[in-house]
Amino acid sequence: MSTTATAAELSPADGSPPAAPPDFGPCPSPAAPNPRKLWSGPSQQWAPRGARHAAAPKSGFAASSSNSPMGELSLRVALRAGRSVAVQQFHQGALRVLRPHYLDGSGQVCYVVVNPGGAYLGADLYVVDVEVEAGASLLLTTQSATKIYRTPGSFAEQRMTIRLGEGAELELAPDQLIAYREASYRQNTRITVHPTSSLIMAEVITPGWSPDAASFRYRELRLRNEIQVESDDGAVLLALDNLLIRPPLGDVTGMGFMEGYSHLGSLIVVDPRVDQALADELHRLTTGYEAYSGLSLTRTLAGTTGLVLRSLSNGTEELNRLLAACTGLLRERWYGRAPLNLRKY
Amino acid sequence: MTSYQLALQQLTDSALPTGAFAHSLGFETYIDRGLVRDEASFGNWLSAFVGQQLTYSDGLAIRFLYEGFDLAGLDAHLSAQLLPRQVREASTKMGGRLIEIGTEVFPSAALEAYRTLVTTGRAAGHQPLAFAVVARSLGVPFEGALAAYLFAAVTSLTQNAVRAIPLGQNSGQRLLRKAHDDVAAAVEHVQHLSWDDFGAVSPGLEISQMRHEWQRARMFMS
Repeated sequence: MSTTATAAELSPADGSPPAAPPDFGPCPSPAAPNPRKLWSGPSQQWAPRGARHAAAPKSGFAASSSNSPMGELSLRVALRAGRSVAVQQFHQGALRVLRPHYLDGSGQVCYVVVNPGGAYLGADLYVVDVEVEAGASLLLTTQSATKIYRTPGSFAEQRMTIRLGEGAELELAPDQLIAYREASYRQNTRITVHPTSSLIMAEVITPGWSPDAASFRYRELRLRNEIQVESDDGAVLLALDNLLIRPPLGDVTGMGFMEGYSHLGSLIVVDPRVDQALADELHRLTTGYEAYSGLSLTRTLAGTTGLVLRSLSNGTEELNRLLAACTGLLRERWYGRAPLNLRKY
Repeated sequence: MTSYQLALQQLTDSALPTGAFAHSLGFETYIDRGLVRDEASFGNWLSAFVGQQLTYSDGLAIRFLYEGFDLAGLDAHLSAQLLPRQVREASTKMGGRLIEIGTEVFPSAALEAYRTLVTTGRAAGHQPLAFAVVARSLGVPFEGALAAYLFAAVTSLTQNAVRAIPLGQNSGQRLLRKAHDDVAAAVEHVQHLSWDDFGAVSPGLEISQMRHEWQRARMFMS
C-alpha cells in the first residue's frame, strides 16, 4: 500500500521521480524471477458455479502464486474496554504498520501502513488481511503514495481481504496511486461486511509518471473491489467495482473514458444508513468542486446498501478535497467525529 | 435458411416491445452537456459504448452464459457491477420484458428456469442473460447471437439518438453502417477477455450514467 523511494532506487531508464519523499531504506529487488501469477479468476467460493474458462483458473488466493509475498500484513482489531485495539498483528517483508494512534476520543484506532522497501516492482505480491471485529472501529491509511515502477513482462499485485463484524467500522483512506512508465498493477480487494457494518473507502488514481511528463504511460491498472454481505442465505455480492485502464490498447483520455480529465477518485460507502436522501446530499456536495462526478446506490441486500461515487478531475488535491468533504460529512453524522486531518506530510 | 434465422430476427427487431425506446443508457447526459450534438459526436459516444459497456458487461455476460457459467451467479454479478442505478434498472426492466416475450413465443426449459429464478427473487433478470438464454435454446451459435445482440442494442440507441438530438434518418443509417466495424471488433474482443474483465466499464461512461439521475430535463429513463 504505502511506498516510498528515492531516485537512486529507480532503474536508470526511469530517470528521477518527481519530489522524492523520505527514504525508508533500500529498495528490495524481487528475490527470484517468479512465474507470472495466474490469479485471475474468482475464488471458488465467489465464482459462479460452472465457471470453467481457461483464462480464468479457479484458484483462490493461496493457490495463486508459487512465490512468497514481497510483503504481508495481517491485522485484527477488536473492541476492548471501549477502545479499538489490535488483538492480532503480523507483518513480514516489505509491509508493516506504524505504532497505532487515536485521533480523537471516539476509541477508533488508526493504523498507518508503511512499505519500508520502496515501490512495487514487477512480480511483487503484497498480501493484506484485515479484520475488524464486532463493535470495533479502524482507520487504515498509508504513509505516502503507492508507487508502481516498471514491471517488465510481469505485474505487481496487491491482494487485500477485509472482514467487518457486526457493527464494525472501517475507514480505508490510502494515499494516491501512481503508476510509472511501463508499469502493470493489479489490486484485488475483497470485503465481507455484516449487514450492520459501516465501510467508507476512498482512493485516488493519478495519470502516472514518466520521464517526459507525459500521462498514461503505464501499461495496465486493474483495481477490483468486491463487496459481499453476510446474510441468512450466506454471503451475497453487493457491489463489484471493476476498474481497468490499459493505455496501450487505445486512447483512454477522451469521451466515454476519462472525458479529458487526468485523475480519478472513487468513494465506496456501505452502511445500513445509506439511502437516496444521502445520495442526493452527496451529489449536491460534489457540485462545489472542480470535478466531474457521479454517484449511485447499489441494491439493498440484507438491510444494507452501498453507494459508489466516481469523480474525474485534473489533480490529486481537488479530488482529495472532494472525497474529504464527503467522508467528513459521513464521519460527523454517523460517528460524531471531526473530519480527517492526517497531517502526514 | 437456418432453423433459428427468423426467430433471431424477431428477437432483435427494434420493434420488440422491451421498452428500449425509453433508454439512452447515458448518452442523454452527453447531449445535456453539449458533447453529443450531431452525427459525428454521437458516433464517437456509440463507439465508446460498444467498446466498453457492451463488450465488458453485456458481451461477456452472453459469452459466460454460453460457456455454461451458473446463471444465478452471472445474474448476481450483473446486479453488483452495474453501479449506475438507472442502467441496472434498465437492464432488469428490459430483461423482464424479454423473459415474458420469450415465454410466450420461444418457450424452453432453460428460459422457464430463469423465469422461476426471477419470480422467486433469486435473480433480477438481466437483458443480456435473458437474450442469451433464449438464443441458446433456439440453437443460435455464440458468435451469431452476440453479434445480433450487440447490433440490436446499437440500433435501439441510434434510433433514440435520431429522435433526441435530433438527426436525419439517413444520418441514423450511416451511423448504423459505421457501427458494423465496432460490433465486429467487440465480438472479437469479447472472446479474448477473462473473468477478471467482467464489468470493467470506463469511469466516464459510468459517471455520465450516474449523473442522469439528477438531470433536470429528461426524455429517457436512463
